[in-house]
Amino acid sequence: MSETYDFLFKFLVIGNAGTGKSCLLHQFIEKRFKDDSNHTIGVEFGSKIINVVNKYVKLQIWDTAGQERFRSVTRSYYRGAAGALLVYDITSRETYNALTNWLTDARMLASQNIVIILCGNKKDLDADREVTFLEASRFAQENELMFLETSALTGENVEEAFIQCARKILNKIESGELDPERMGSGIQYGDAALRQLRSPRRGQAESAQECGC
Amino acid sequence: MMATPSLLLYVDGSLFAKKVKDTRPVEQKHPSWKVFGKLPPKESSAKTQKEYEAKNSRDGPGLSPTSPRRSVRKNLDFEPLSTTALILEDRPANLPAKPAEEAQKHRQQYEEMVAQAKKRELKEAQKRRKQLEDRVKVEERIGNAAQTWNQEILPNWSSLCTTRWVRELWWQGIPPSVRGKVWSLAVGNELNITHELYNICLSRAREKWKNMPSVPPIESQTEDAGSSLADREASLELIKLDISRTFPHLCIFQQGGPYYDVLHSILGAYTCYRPDVGYVQGMSFIAAVLILNLDTADAFIAFANLLNKPCQMAFFRVDHSLMLMYFAAFEVFFEENLPKLFAHFKENNLTPDIYLIDWIFTLYSKSLPLDLACRVWDVFCRDGDEFLFRVALGILRLYEDVLTRMDFIHNAQFLTRLPDLIPADQLFSHIHAIHMISKNRKWSQVLQALQKEQERTSPVLKR
Repeated sequence: MSETYDFLFKFLVIGNAGTGKSCLLHQFIEKRFKDDSNHTIGVEFGSKIINVVNKYVKLQIWDTAGQERFRSVTRSYYRGAAGALLVYDITSRETYNALTNWLTDARMLASQNIVIILCGNKKDLDADREVTFLEASRFAQENELMFLETSALTGENVEEAFIQCARKILNKIESGELDPERMGSGIQYGDAALRQLRSPRRGQAESAQECGC
Repeated sequence: MMATPSLLLYVDGSLFAKKVKDTRPVEQKHPSWKVFGKLPPKESSAKTQKEYEAKNSRDGPGLSPTSPRRSVRKNLDFEPLSTTALILEDRPANLPAKPAEEAQKHRQQYEEMVAQAKKRELKEAQKRRKQLEDRVKVEERIGNAAQTWNQEILPNWSSLCTTRWVRELWWQGIPPSVRGKVWSLAVGNELNITHELYNICLSRAREKWKNMPSVPPIESQTEDAGSSLADREASLELIKLDISRTFPHLCIFQQGGPYYDVLHSILGAYTCYRPDVGYVQGMSFIAAVLILNLDTADAFIAFANLLNKPCQMAFFRVDHSLMLMYFAAFEVFFEENLPKLFAHFKENNLTPDIYLIDWIFTLYSKSLPLDLACRVWDVFCRDGDEFLFRVALGILRLYEDVLTRMDFIHNAQFLTRLPDLIPADQLFSHIHAIHMISKNRKWSQVLQALQKEQERTSPVLKR
């Protein structure tokens, strides 16, 4: 079981109960909708390697319980997260109203530079919509969040949400805004990047050898 | 010996078969057991052996050099067993007879073949007989156990429940037909809840549901009082949402399913009985398992009393510092029992809360197959919260080899989503091998020591 990747990012999925956090994760990883899912107690996990701007990034995703009561528990999982999907349900204003609380927690407890993408899930239930796209995108802008409306049922924008979030983190690393080596950045070098870092010339040497053959 | 797969199948099936009010003795309730019991194993297995042989021979072994099939077809009333189907015939009369030497050779070959076929059949028949005998034994054991529980143990509960004999029988799993009764007795009713009290709580809950606004109040969450009100109403909403997400694969708790209302009632009544605790995710699984084994009001009584135990109260109030204390105690026994894996988890920052929260909150009913979870509940009712943590260590011990080879994320994924098929016998023998003694201290003593330490170091740091 050898996995090669350049970076490992710790991701969170947060938001109220019943907004579809676990289903988003399941859709992202298995590429299908889980219609008989249990509710998450505590935390569940997923991981996937994606290719973003020519880098292999392994996402280590922490899918947390949504009930308010569990916050004291789930808060302890925020530490060192590099990215987060903040999920609400477009058919439930209540889940939208709770966003500020979730956001405060995430900014306070995860890494300072955490990249958050707001996901208005259940896009397929447009007829029951209680939160407009415009309103949510304004909220996202005011709070410096990326924003997508997603559907864990159809898969629309699900992969995009994870990829966009990862891409932004990579950009921040490249621009120097994020330092992966800082403690609690939520970023680790993968094997590939480590090899390059330790012996930047080794790649050349190997290819030179190949030429000699 | 622990239960075998066929027992588990039976247990699983009968989970849903209870509900019938029944005070008849067990043997009448399950005539099938008695029928099995009356048939001497040899006779019944001989019968199946014949059936088996008959069935097998229809496919025809095609071994005979003289095509036995044709001769068989000639006489249709003759149903051949595979050995007798192998018939040595002389050459037809219109052909010259075999030389004596060749005939002798063929006869010898024929006899060898028959002998081999007979040997093989005997072996297979023995295997089948063994399987059947095992099944009969298991069924007899369940029948006998149910009888023992019903006629001997339950009537003398208080004097027998702590005896070594009963405790050992208990460990082997309680027969499904008496499971609910044993759980009720073992959990007790310290809270003195009556059926009337349940009905009062239920009608209060119904009153609330009626008065609940269909649309939650907007923007009132900033006030403290408003927040708790919103929280309470949200929790009624959440109950509905979670019921549909409780054992969804069983399709009996979901809206329109036979137990939807029952589950809804128990959870609703509990929020009225203990408004200070309210509904917390995980409760729906516990209530559901109780409903499968007890009548509604009794399920409520067991539910409320179960949640009132110190460990469950700590978790369902989400008292983080107390929870951490339980995790710390767990780690003491983890290190004691599985030092290698303990070190590996430490190295990978895999803290016990990551997997224990789900296991403890739902008493394993979400993470283990239901029949296995019920067996865990059996002994949990006997041994208390200590057993929940012992099971956790048993699981870790069972999968120790795999777990020591994996990194953080794979371990976390594995433990928060255990394999679908967990061998019950193996798990229980691993649980059995876990010693809940650390440096001469029992679980409760370790817990007490940690509590004292916590009180000393941070007397006011209770969230």
